[in-house]
Amino acid sequence: MARRVNGGSAAIEVVALRKTYPGEVDAVKGIDFEVCAGEVFGLVGPNGAGKSTTIGMLTTQVRPSGGSARVAGFDVVTDAIDVRRVSSVVFQEAVVDRSLTGRRNLDIHAHLWGVEPRIAAKRIVELVRIFDLEAVVDRAVGTYSGGQRRRLEIARALLSKPRLLFLDEPTVGLDPLIRHELVDIISDLRRRTEMTVVLTTHYLEEAERLCDRVAVLHGGEVVGMDTPQRLLATLGAELVELRVDEDPLYVIDVLREQRVAGEDAFAVGATITVPMHRRRTSRALAVIHGLDLNMTSVSTRKPTLDDVYLRLTGDRIER
Amino acid sequence: MAVATVAVEHRARIRRGSAVATLARRRFALSARTPREIIVPLVNPVLFALVIAPALNKVIGSFRPGLDYVSYVAIGTIGLLVPINTMFAGLGVIVDRAEGAQRELVSAPVPRSFVVYGNLAVALLTTTFQVVALIGFAVLRGANFVTTATGIAWFGSAALLFAIGSYGVAETLANRMPKQEEYIGVVPAVAILPWFFAGSLFPIDTLPRGLAMFARVLPLTHALALMRYGLGVDKIGVGLKDIWGMANVQAMAGLSLLVIAFFAIAFTRLAVRVFSRAALR
Repeated sequence: MARRVNGGSAAIEVVALRKTYPGEVDAVKGIDFEVCAGEVFGLVGPNGAGKSTTIGMLTTQVRPSGGSARVAGFDVVTDAIDVRRVSSVVFQEAVVDRSLTGRRNLDIHAHLWGVEPRIAAKRIVELVRIFDLEAVVDRAVGTYSGGQRRRLEIARALLSKPRLLFLDEPTVGLDPLIRHELVDIISDLRRRTEMTVVLTTHYLEEAERLCDRVAVLHGGEVVGMDTPQRLLATLGAELVELRVDEDPLYVIDVLREQRVAGEDAFAVGATITVPMHRRRTSRALAVIHGLDLNMTSVSTRKPTLDDVYLRLTGDRIER
Repeated sequence: MAVATVAVEHRARIRRGSAVATLARRRFALSARTPREIIVPLVNPVLFALVIAPALNKVIGSFRPGLDYVSYVAIGTIGLLVPINTMFAGLGVIVDRAEGAQRELVSAPVPRSFVVYGNLAVALLTTTFQVVALIGFAVLRGANFVTTATGIAWFGSAALLFAIGSYGVAETLANRMPKQEEYIGVVPAVAILPWFFAGSLFPIDTLPRGLAMFARVLPLTHALALMRYGLGVDKIGVGLKDIWGMANVQAMAGLSLLVIAFFAIAFTRLAVRVFSRAALR
């Protein structure tokens, strides 16, 4: 049996974790974070940021190139089977036996995760009811809708009552209605279970709603990590958004010269976002309108996690 | 939709045998839903045993006094049946990876080698069914086999080990090839080509010297010679003598069994290694 460390307070400890794929592709460049037991932790970032690779390493499906990661005290390299014993994964793509029934898929998971048959049968009944799969559970999974299949996969992951649940882009590719429904399910899980949940998403409103903390990944590095509220607070209470018809970086420089924008103003495409912080919005708007800039619109609004995300990742893409 | 309170729990490690049995049951359930996977590989060998062998026997007669050509070819077709069936079974690995539950299986708390063993168990089960069916058809068509306990042991061991090795080859290729199309492209080279050189339809001593040497290193040649010896088709072990050139038939049978065992162990180990590496990115 592998060693347990850390008294159980940190469900996940990641230190200088690195993954380099063949061809010298640095997918994850030495990241550090901890996830507390019972916490819902989000990994957010654009495609190619390293989210799925990180989840892959934590679920022992990707071998780290360096650093270390412990899940429930077990090392992901040396204690891989123990890591898998205490965790379940819901994958980004559909990972089911399509020609088998939903019930058979659930049964197989229960057997492999060592759930006693009597208990498994009881739990399957319960989860099938909870996830509203009663009408389809004895049908081949190939006949399920995308939402039904996703619900089945989440039910399957919960069947073994894992201490850690990994959700890799659980809502990607689903229509908005089903997405909404699944976010509700995960939100309920968050409220009602003791499980530690790690989820990756590029839907920021999901992360804001579901996560206790989020780490923003970009280019294989953690570029921001905090609670959604604190991350939002970094942009202040209000921001000004401009759409321009000229070089946005030039416009940002002009705004900074005019002391309308600070160092955290950023541009994504033709849209410039200027956090106001302690600056007065009315004065800023007056100055902006007085400048000789090619603008198509100017508006004010409250910041969202999208803005934080774009601040941390988008401007880097542009520059 | 409400989610009930879910408390985390500690679980014991699953027993090894139980895990492999679960994985084998899963594979069997998947195969049972596509019966053509079991039936199709049987068609060509059965045709050989039922139609072609008796016809050749009638036209050209047997090449050795006292040797029943129908029985000879019936065993020879096992050498076609087993590789084709195991290669078909390997297709399931690609389907699992591309659109099945392979990632779920490799995230289970069991050694990843168990997935290979589960698949292997079902490949052996279907192969056994097919070999028994083929032998049964051949007997109905007039083949003669002598069944003794020792003979059946030689036959069974040779067939089993050859099937294990063949599945190892199939699983290895399935995990090395990204697409079904590529995999299907190599089936004739892997499953059918050796059959022409391994003494399936005629003895290897009729081959040119170089090809006969090549035939002697093929596990299939050893398997066929041993299966014929076991079922009394080649009572004095001429096929084994063509390979080893020794006088002691039992010793030659033992050596051929060792060759097939080596083939089985080597390719099973390779298959496990390749699968585990493919599963771990």
